[in-house]
Amino acid sequence: MRILLALLPLAAAPLSVVADSSASSPGEGIYRRGLLPSGRPLRGERASATAVEGPLAACVNCHRRSGLGASEGRILIPPITARYLFGVRARNAGEPGMPGMETPGLERPRFTEATLARAIREGVGSDGRRFDELMPHYALDDSSMAVLIAYLRQLSSDRVPGVSDERIEFATIITPDSDPIQRKGMLEVLDTFFANKNVFFREKSPPLQSSHNIHYRIVRKWKLHVWQLAGSPESWEQQLHQRLRAEPVFAVISGLGGKTWAPVHRFCEAESLPCLFPNVDLPVVAEDDFYPVYFSKGVLLEAQLLAGRLAQKARAAGLHHVVQVYRSGDIGAAAAHELRAGLAAQGIEIVDRPLAAAAKSQTLSEAVNNVQASDALILWMRPKDLQALPPSPPPGALVFASGLMGGLERAPLPTNWRASTDVTYPFDLPDDRRLRMDFPLRWFKIRQIEMVDERVQTDTFVACGILAEVLAPMLDNFVRDHLLERLETMLSARTRNGYYPRLGLGPGQRFASKGGYLVHFADVQGPKVVADGEWIVP
Amino acid sequence: MNHPCARPATTRMGIAVSAAVLAFAVAPAQVAHSAGPALEASQVAVPATTAASRVSRSLAEYTVPSVELVREDGKVVRFSDELADTRPVVLNFIYTTCNGICPMLSQTFSFLQSKLGAQRDSVHLVSVSIDPEQDTPQRLTEYAKQFHAGPEWHHYTGTLAASVLVQRSFGVYRGDKMSHTPVTLLRPAPGMPWVRFDGYATADELIQELGDRIANP
Repeated sequence: MRILLALLPLAAAPLSVVADSSASSPGEGIYRRGLLPSGRPLRGERASATAVEGPLAACVNCHRRSGLGASEGRILIPPITARYLFGVRARNAGEPGMPGMETPGLERPRFTEATLARAIREGVGSDGRRFDELMPHYALDDSSMAVLIAYLRQLSSDRVPGVSDERIEFATIITPDSDPIQRKGMLEVLDTFFANKNVFFREKSPPLQSSHNIHYRIVRKWKLHVWQLAGSPESWEQQLHQRLRAEPVFAVISGLGGKTWAPVHRFCEAESLPCLFPNVDLPVVAEDDFYPVYFSKGVLLEAQLLAGRLAQKARAAGLHHVVQVYRSGDIGAAAAHELRAGLAAQGIEIVDRPLAAAAKSQTLSEAVNNVQASDALILWMRPKDLQALPPSPPPGALVFASGLMGGLERAPLPTNWRASTDVTYPFDLPDDRRLRMDFPLRWFKIRQIEMVDERVQTDTFVACGILAEVLAPMLDNFVRDHLLERLETMLSARTRNGYYPRLGLGPGQRFASKGGYLVHFADVQGPKVVADGEWIVP
Repeated sequence: MNHPCARPATTRMGIAVSAAVLAFAVAPAQVAHSAGPALEASQVAVPATTAASRVSRSLAEYTVPSVELVREDGKVVRFSDELADTRPVVLNFIYTTCNGICPMLSQTFSFLQSKLGAQRDSVHLVSVSIDPEQDTPQRLTEYAKQFHAGPEWHHYTGTLAASVLVQRSFGVYRGDKMSHTPVTLLRPAPGMPWVRFDGYATADELIQELGDRIANP
């Protein structure tokens, strides 16, 4: 039996309030942070449990940032934007009276400001029914109530850029320092996926219709804008803001980075633009940011995998020294920094040997040779540098190499290095993912897409699939925050995830795959790898 | 009826019916005390504890699996060893980024803990993560702090397989963390059947169930 949470009626508050639309406003303070305009914490009482205060009492927890509610288990948390509370037609939605989403019971009486305030204070709906016990009672004074209601009036009501009756516009962002081969492969996948999506679209689609609560989903054409950045990273944010003004899009999908993605991440967060699953091995880790979403923490995850293994070795086998070799200015530097942080207070001395970008192979040889037996040597290196390693590793040293940077099972380690090198592998092993990979590989084959970089192209394909699946049930509710909320909910149910054994998010989570293996090569040559231990989640 | 969002039909068809809407039949809300059509809601008594119709109580024989888990303090333990306890055990399932259900469940434990007062240590509170890859021991420690967990209340994580095994062992596994429902389980003493509360059991209800098994100080 479904438990319905009735909407909040409006009590006998003062007259109608002006919509509150400024960012970080008092209304947002109540809604998102549980902070009253007076500075005191919001307090919610529940009959069956203790009161909640402050952030735990905030509306956002259940009704979400978009105000469009959520479903959790058997509980449906209803939307509380103006459209659903007062029946006000939002500029981003279809016909009035069209819920545009799968929430039932929206034919219930609309609230007035009077009945809404009563609902918030006393937990009684506009139809006189009591709310589910999950919904607290909030003893707000009249002025706080007015502030909150003003906030709800404007929540998720703006016209959403990049969406029309016929089209949804997306962008993909490519940095100038990204790999041109990967770029080609990724764009081919994106173009083909978008073309395929649009192939059954012949004419302007009819407006969203409803008959007896059965909603016919509109099919809109997808359009891809390729935003190729140029110049130095300091100029990228400005370029992106200009692009967005000229080509408004609903969300950013996939994309390709090189040495840094930070300006793109900042841009997306600043513009409240979902930025979904770029192909980057060095993402930005910012726990409170909402809009950028990544497959994993990339080389930072690899560093954490290594930190765990090295800490074990320190305890068990007396490892004391770690040497890290990487090119300055490349992502290995950030990975080395992360490993250093992960090994703090382990009693291990860590020596970093950064190589200048133009340093020759002799410098590389010196950097890797001067390593004692039973020390650990960490190679944060691209294939080119792996190929330039001296013929043999330093005797007795434990060698670890970044799989992401080096090419995973195709990392071109010299033969004599293969036997003693462990490679970080933040994916399912090739044999274990063979069945799951059948799906994208067949798709590439049928669509005659040239395989130039299996990982990037598969990740791109998976990202497109995720985008299609998260948008489909949104019907006409193109609200960017809601896209991310839905993504949080639906992702862990997916199984066709390419290289990843699992993808999953939750409220506030932005890295979908959380672990990896340490592997070594099974043979003197060839791509077969064997895991040293189980899947590790640092 | 347990049903997360149904998958919509693929976009191959020009028009698709959103099956999810059909599945979401409008059900009458369960109401503890109906306010009826009258608008004097303020005159309706708010129940001090949840009415019995909101929580269903049953008995079950569950076997505690002997599976390796990781405690919030980082210790690797066997779950059956952790529960090899003469104390009554109260168990729930949470994940740290959960917004609605888990804070309620954890608050109930927190409330129970404070109601027990000096007898707190006589009851063993156990919370197991159903999002173990996200819920590292550190995140569990932070979560536990939010609810003022004392030393008698431990949180557990581990591999995904281990978490699923524990969930299955107690009949709470729903395939996806987003589909979870509020459940509290209580074993009064080793060897006795588990009492299962589906719904939001209150601290008072749990204390009532614990009865005289709460040791006197």
